[in-house]
Amino acid sequence: MFILSFLVRRLLQGALIIFLVTLLIFTLLRVVPGDPVRLMAGGMAPEALIEQIATEMGLRDPILVQFGRYMGGVIQGDLGQSFVRPASGASTGGSGFGDSSRGDRAEVLTLIADTLPMTLQLAALAIFFALVFSFLVGVPGGLAPNRWPDRVAFYISSIFISLPNFWLGIVLALLFSVKLGWLPAIGYKGFAYTILPAIVLAVELAPILIRNLTASLASVMQSPFISVGRVRGLGHRRIVYAHALRNASVPLLNLLGIQISGLLGGVLIVEFIFDYPGLGLLTVNAVLQRDFPLIQGIAIVTSAIFVLINIAVDLIATLIDPRLEY
Amino acid sequence: MNDATRRGFLKRAAALGAGAGLFTINPEFFLSPAAAQEGKTLVFLSAENITGNWDPSAHTTLSQKNIEGFIMGFLTRTPMRVEKPDEVVYELATSLTLLDPTKLEIKLRQGVKFHDGKEFKAEDVKATFEYGSRPDRPAQWYPGPTETLTITTPDDYTVIVDTSKGGYPAHLFMFLAAYLPMMSATDIAAGPQGPLSQRLNGTGPFKFVEQRGNDTVLAANPDYFLGAPKIPAISFNFVGDSTTRMLSLMNGQASIVERLEPEQVATLQGNDKVAISSVVSVENKYLWFRCSKPPFDNPLVRKAACHAIDREQILAVLGEAGHKSANYVSPVKFGYIDLPNYPAYDPEKCQALLAEAGFPGGEGLPPLEYITSVGFYPKTKEYGEVITAMLQEQGFPVTLSVLEIAAWNERLYDRPGGGPGHMVDCGWSTGSPEPDLVLRTHFHSSSKRITGIVDAEIDASLDKERSAPSLEERKAILQSETMPLLADKVPALSLFTSVMIHAMDKSLSGLFIYPDGSMDASKGAFA
Repeated sequence: MFILSFLVRRLLQGALIIFLVTLLIFTLLRVVPGDPVRLMAGGMAPEALIEQIATEMGLRDPILVQFGRYMGGVIQGDLGQSFVRPASGASTGGSGFGDSSRGDRAEVLTLIADTLPMTLQLAALAIFFALVFSFLVGVPGGLAPNRWPDRVAFYISSIFISLPNFWLGIVLALLFSVKLGWLPAIGYKGFAYTILPAIVLAVELAPILIRNLTASLASVMQSPFISVGRVRGLGHRRIVYAHALRNASVPLLNLLGIQISGLLGGVLIVEFIFDYPGLGLLTVNAVLQRDFPLIQGIAIVTSAIFVLINIAVDLIATLIDPRLEY
Repeated sequence: MNDATRRGFLKRAAALGAGAGLFTINPEFFLSPAAAQEGKTLVFLSAENITGNWDPSAHTTLSQKNIEGFIMGFLTRTPMRVEKPDEVVYELATSLTLLDPTKLEIKLRQGVKFHDGKEFKAEDVKATFEYGSRPDRPAQWYPGPTETLTITTPDDYTVIVDTSKGGYPAHLFMFLAAYLPMMSATDIAAGPQGPLSQRLNGTGPFKFVEQRGNDTVLAANPDYFLGAPKIPAISFNFVGDSTTRMLSLMNGQASIVERLEPEQVATLQGNDKVAISSVVSVENKYLWFRCSKPPFDNPLVRKAACHAIDREQILAVLGEAGHKSANYVSPVKFGYIDLPNYPAYDPEKCQALLAEAGFPGGEGLPPLEYITSVGFYPKTKEYGEVITAMLQEQGFPVTLSVLEIAAWNERLYDRPGGGPGHMVDCGWSTGSPEPDLVLRTHFHSSSKRITGIVDAEIDASLDKERSAPSLEERKAILQSETMPLLADKVPALSLFTSVMIHAMDKSLSGLFIYPDGSMDASKGAFA
């Protein structure tokens, strides 16, 4: 019963958040400079024709009228068609104002469905790298507070947090792809193409995880049950891995929820640099081309993902620790 | 509820993660080297995306013109080198003969086939010219609408273009012959909704296979009439970031990349696996004045601004990416000369003109906006700042607006009452020696794309050169009347000619790069 009421309440809240995000994005897109019809029609198209196409497409109606029309489609599961991309999915620029292939435009939902798994794969690998590295560095740091392993963990996380992801991406591609030839870097033709961008994202994620793990493990190691464990004759390894680390992982779980939501910012830049065909690259190109339906569709899908992740994290935390209430 | 445990959760999460991983992991990664050579496919990374409509008459997008260069056939080709700008190489045509000033006879090569198997004949040339001249075709390359043309085909391999109804000379089709891809009459008959927009069907060395996401896939045409290409396939990809393109070339994933920044050229020159190709292009970069509104509706103010700008300094900023020129068209275009009256840096003259216009020392001039872009052309922001500083030094109250491409593109063109801002930076590139593709497009009152200029004297001069009965006479009018008149009225200032810089795999040879960036890969080969 609790789960049902929790889910209903949080999903309703989530729907409201998504609605507000959609309205915000919709409004912002229409006030920033850059007329999508000019981009679609190309430089040679006369001004009168631009106005005619814009009127036909409903882009000269009041924003609220346009929004109402759009949401009507969204409720029926129709995110619309891209302004510029053909069904082949190619990233296109505008040109022909009498463009006969308009009927062949890609469905926004299809474009997102094609690219989202790529980004999920990248995000999953990045989180895996970040967790492994965080444990390797954070656990020794947490077990030796104020001693050199702790300081190493601190220095590493300080350095990592100071590295701009666009710089790191280029440097890693230069090193591992150009100089050493170990990994491919640009585009996507197989799983290996995910590794370098995932490392860049992992470097972005790791510092907070390392600091959190170090601090919480150090704190748990001071708990009475750890001392009792020693008295009970448990070995150091068992105390650390079976008891302390498990307890220290709980705050890490909550943190991961937030970190995953924050990954999107990094994904935009990293996917652009590596030409990785995920949701991030799709977003960057959609923004550059003023592809309104695509940007809106991506905003709805990503905000829905954020909302669902947060609901899941809260639900899991509640299940693990029934004292928590959300 | 009590069944949920941390241990259980972690176990299930791990199992889920591993399960998801199994679906995504490509086992080939573990079996093949990471950056393995992918046969002999030529991988081209383009800085610009395509339009998604394959009809060659539906766009003016350079990257798509480059793809057409591999696939489509042209009546002639014009290599357009600075030392020999008028050179013509016959391709699908075997001769172009002016029968009289309004009649052009085109003789065609026999035994050529389109990729779909249809034989190339006079009917295809007629259909291409008539279709492309339709006023609803967005590219608008042709000198007049379809009704001004009479095209006859005395036999399957002869075409007569008669322009007498339009009152313009037939020789205008001679330069356009190198610019207009020949389409199949069968495709054209199906109209703009038909196969024309779905795929490219040409007579060129490579066939269109498919569009796979951002990858345009081409395969060698074994029946190419000049011999089957040695390169079996081309993969033409859009990659927006110039650093990404360069890295891709350096790690061997790409065979050739375009639009290098000058700094990247310096980096790649030290790489023994990379060759650099620099070609003076058909593109000039301009400072366009909004001539339909104050203060640049006054030619004296425009001229004063031109004399305030030291173009040598701009070229110093551009390095390898700029070539000095003093005309409104590139040195590789028909009729180019270094104009003796082209405005040079002269602060004293600038001040005299400002005073004559009623703005001594710039006093009384309204605040002026100079719009430029970042992300496509090299160094626009950098030299934009230099130009702004030079104008400010002479008293022009200029502020520079640096916009990303979409916002800049939206503000680029003239509109009723004058376009946004007062000056705009933009290049203009057309893959033909034809100068009117620049001059008439921008300075005739029937077009006036960016400047918005309406000047009867310029119109008359442009009409006169266009109507000259022969190419020789036309060249004389262009060089002695039209171009000097433009340099005197300065509706825009051409700052320099762009240099098209490509970097490529050193083992790749036999590639010919045209000054518009398109290339002939029919004789290309990897060592």
